[in-house]
Amino acid sequence: MKIDVKHIADLSRITLTQEELDKFTPQMETILQSASVLKNVDTEGVAPMKKHIPFSEMRDDTPIPSLSQEEVLKNAKHTEKGFVKVYGKIFGDIEES
Amino acid sequence: MEYDIIVGLEIHVQTKTESKMFCSCPTGYFQKEPNTHVCPVCLGLPGALPVPNRRAIELCILMGLATNCKINKNILFDRKHYFYPDLPKGYQISQYKDPICSNGKVTLPSEVEIEIERIHQEEDVAKSTHHKEASTNKEYSLIDYNKSGIPLIEIVTKPCIRSAKDAKDFATQIRQICRYLNISDADMEKGQMRCEPNISIQEKGKWKYEDGKILPIGDYKLNNKVEVKNIGSITAVEKSIEYEVKRLTEEIANGKEIIQQTRGWNADKGITEFQRSKETADDYRYMPEPDIPVIEISKEDIERVSKELVELPHEKIARYTKDYEISTYAAEVISSTKENATYFEGILSELKTSLDEKTAAKEAANWLMGTVYSLGKDVDIKDLALLIKKFKDGIITKGVAEELLKDCLGNGKDISDELEKFEGSSKESAGKLEDIVKEIIKNNPKAVADYKGGKTSTMGFLVGQVMQSTKGSANPNEAKNILEELLK
Repeated sequence: MKIDVKHIADLSRITLTQEELDKFTPQMETILQSASVLKNVDTEGVAPMKKHIPFSEMRDDTPIPSLSQEEVLKNAKHTEKGFVKVYGKIFGDIEES
Repeated sequence: MEYDIIVGLEIHVQTKTESKMFCSCPTGYFQKEPNTHVCPVCLGLPGALPVPNRRAIELCILMGLATNCKINKNILFDRKHYFYPDLPKGYQISQYKDPICSNGKVTLPSEVEIEIERIHQEEDVAKSTHHKEASTNKEYSLIDYNKSGIPLIEIVTKPCIRSAKDAKDFATQIRQICRYLNISDADMEKGQMRCEPNISIQEKGKWKYEDGKILPIGDYKLNNKVEVKNIGSITAVEKSIEYEVKRLTEEIANGKEIIQQTRGWNADKGITEFQRSKETADDYRYMPEPDIPVIEISKEDIERVSKELVELPHEKIARYTKDYEISTYAAEVISSTKENATYFEGILSELKTSLDEKTAAKEAANWLMGTVYSLGKDVDIKDLALLIKKFKDGIITKGVAEELLKDCLGNGKDISDELEKFEGSSKESAGKLEDIVKEIIKNNPKAVADYKGGKTSTMGFLVGQVMQSTKGSANPNEAKNILEELLK
């Protein structure tokens, strides 16, 4: 089972070295291999097991108070004037900082 | 070389709910402190569970019903993955293969039909602004998650739009529908409605439109399309497409190949600017959202939502022009907002008690477009109807009516009181008017002789003389009546 780890890493904006790629690729392929046994189960005629709910059971459109700004920003690495601050280019890579 | 314009439009609309799409945070975030309408769900904290908002789904269905879409029986959500700071979960909850609404159409005032591929429900992302740090020269973004999780519907047309004008008309109609049905205020400046056209130009006769797709004929290679973002107004929809078509035509004339790309509209310069190329297909790794069950929509649910449908602008235009015989232009202006149309229909029903329907409609339209809109103020329906009736009875002129209106609106006077006063004083002046008419007859023997000799057009001249000597204060109808009486 082949997996393009570099592509997956790029999509997640993670930079990996060649050594890391060489190390992770077989590891991730083993994970996929293990999970792929599920493909052998015969699901012919079996409906997807997903819960169904009637329309009326959805949430009412009633707002409740949110967290305070202080709580929201508590885990942010950088903040500025109540905003979360993230370093990186607009359309380029947003790097972890 | 001659080219055809191929445009498909994606329109995002924030729908009008009290709480967010998948959590109970309040929506009204406009001009609020950043990161104050946020909870673990819309902040994408691990373990937080999304719970769909019923009202939001109803509004999506309502939009689908208003645009003749088929409504899906089951609602399924999917995760669309991409990595960007405005999307805290690392994925957006959206819909992939089974949108709530599909295969709709709307008819533009020009009778052009626009086919709608789908309308699906999703959630908005956070707002980010981009800056550069002066001390370090580092680029950074500031993120406000208040907008994250606001209910958002995406309306996607087929690539069936053939001109910038049709794209503008379609966007206008979608905005009107949103406002008529209270689905959204659809204010583009506030970002409540966003339009993103996909534009390409293809050689005439070298392509065909089949099953909602553009296909090449023979060995023709289709030109790539360009997506334009950052459009802040309905006018910019038209302008940006016109600009792109011109730019693409020039590029091809210069022998350049068009690469698939995203461009941003710069409203100040009136141009589009390159943002990024899309050489590889987007890879969003869609997967079914496991945290939300399948929501079943019954016939009764759809019937309940459809009760919110009201007569829409294009239906009003058709009825006004057909039943009342008012001009298409007037019908379009009047039905451009629900408030205008309701006002027009209110006046009409007042006038119908004393005038026939078509005359009533014509007068209502004329007074609305000529008098009320130019005043720019709310005029009470009963007051305006009263003035129109007095005008039709020949008691006041339009000029006098407008003066009265201005006076009453500006000084808080009551129109019926003022009308009574005016009628009293005009009875008094009627005697004076007769004296003036007699004077005019005496001073214009030739015109009088011509009139008596059968040249009836001279009447206009005589009325004009009366108006001149009263400095326009006389009622021309009244002057005419007195003249006719005296010259019998």
